[in-house]
Amino acid sequence: MKNFYALGLLVIALLALYLANTLEWPQRITGTRIDPLPALMVCAALRAPVLALTLLAVLGSLWQTSLSADPPGISMIPLFAVGVAVSLNRRAIHTRLWGARFAVAAAAGAMVPLVTVGLLILLGRQPLLGWFSFWQLAVMSLASGLLALLFFPLLQWLDKTVEDQPFAAPYDTTTQIKRSPH
Amino acid sequence: MNLRPYVYATGFVLVLTAVLLALPTRSAGQVKLAAGSFFVPLFSAEAGLQRARNFAASKTATREELLEQNQRLALTNEVLRIQIQQLRATAEENKVLRIQVAFAATNQWKLRLGQVIGRDPANWWRTLQINLGSRHGVREGLPVLTPDGLVGRVHDVHPNRSRVALIGDPACRLSINVQPSRENGILTADGATVFNHTIVNLQFLPAHTEARAGDPVVTSGLGRLFPRGIPVGKLLSVAPAPGALNSNARVKLAVDSSRLNEVWVILP
Repeated sequence: MKNFYALGLLVIALLALYLANTLEWPQRITGTRIDPLPALMVCAALRAPVLALTLLAVLGSLWQTSLSADPPGISMIPLFAVGVAVSLNRRAIHTRLWGARFAVAAAAGAMVPLVTVGLLILLGRQPLLGWFSFWQLAVMSLASGLLALLFFPLLQWLDKTVEDQPFAAPYDTTTQIKRSPH
Repeated sequence: MNLRPYVYATGFVLVLTAVLLALPTRSAGQVKLAAGSFFVPLFSAEAGLQRARNFAASKTATREELLEQNQRLALTNEVLRIQIQQLRATAEENKVLRIQVAFAATNQWKLRLGQVIGRDPANWWRTLQINLGSRHGVREGLPVLTPDGLVGRVHDVHPNRSRVALIGDPACRLSINVQPSRENGILTADGATVFNHTIVNLQFLPAHTEARAGDPVVTSGLGRLFPRGIPVGKLLSVAPAPGALNSNARVKLAVDSSRLNEVWVILP
């Protein structure tokens, strides 16, 4: 059943990327294209194991760059870094609080494009950047926070639909209880 | 917490990224093509929906609406036919003059209509996707335009879709000609034009330029990538630099790429 969850996660990523690529109105209103992957990665990292996060980072990045002028897989490292950071600290994040989900996803929504642009510059590319890019970064961050509020219940529903038990155990599974022989 | 899976996954992602970024351009294009094939069913479904919408709209239009539309089209047709007659006379005159001055004849454009199916998801590039690919005769570098003016050039070609680098994208710098003064320059974009996709920079105009705001800008034909004389836009402002080697200007593009639905590709 874990495979179904990972598959569902990838299908959601594909559809979200397709919509982000074809919907015109966010750019007409804000002058910014919205990236759905950071928000999806944050929500997935709160529940899914590292294998699903790796798949999401690798395939999500490849799918996104296939529609873009970016080199293939350029956003893989920042996406994966966000996933690992959230996954390792999932117990420190109050996932029941909307504000916490929003804040983490908003931070990811700003971090991923910043690191991606940094990598592009390191590779010698010349992305179009200016003062307006700060506005675009702010919009992407805000939109990522809002998208997390949408993705979180969606992934929760997916988890409940394909799993009898919660996907990730709410306790540390590596802890062993050793009884004394006496 | 068991950290071993995280270490393995991090190593895998780092190696994969290094391999992907080190790929030559051709192989990187093939990786993109393979990854983009996942979107083919979605693009096909959208095209099917569009056809169904058009069919439904044509079936539900009232007789009055169709008559009114027909009348409007007939009127437009009359005007265009008169303009064609005028252009035909001009073309004949042009042909005779070309023969007299032994000037090479220009080829007729072979056009193909394409629909815009997507835009670049990254905010730092200016590209869009059209539903024409190598199967339709599209090749890399072909000019893309609308009746209003130049849009850009084909950058990547896939079997059923292509990516067009718009004017202002780093992959679409072009040589232009400012009409009355006949001065040449290069259109580029920088950070100052990020906020508005219809404004680009014009560089390398002569230091003592005679160009003025409002002058039309067309393709120069230099470099043989774009045919000569395609409208590009109008000068918005000129900043003469008497002490410098050249001066710069800003150009308002004739085509607002954010509102494009259909474009024409000039086939070879």
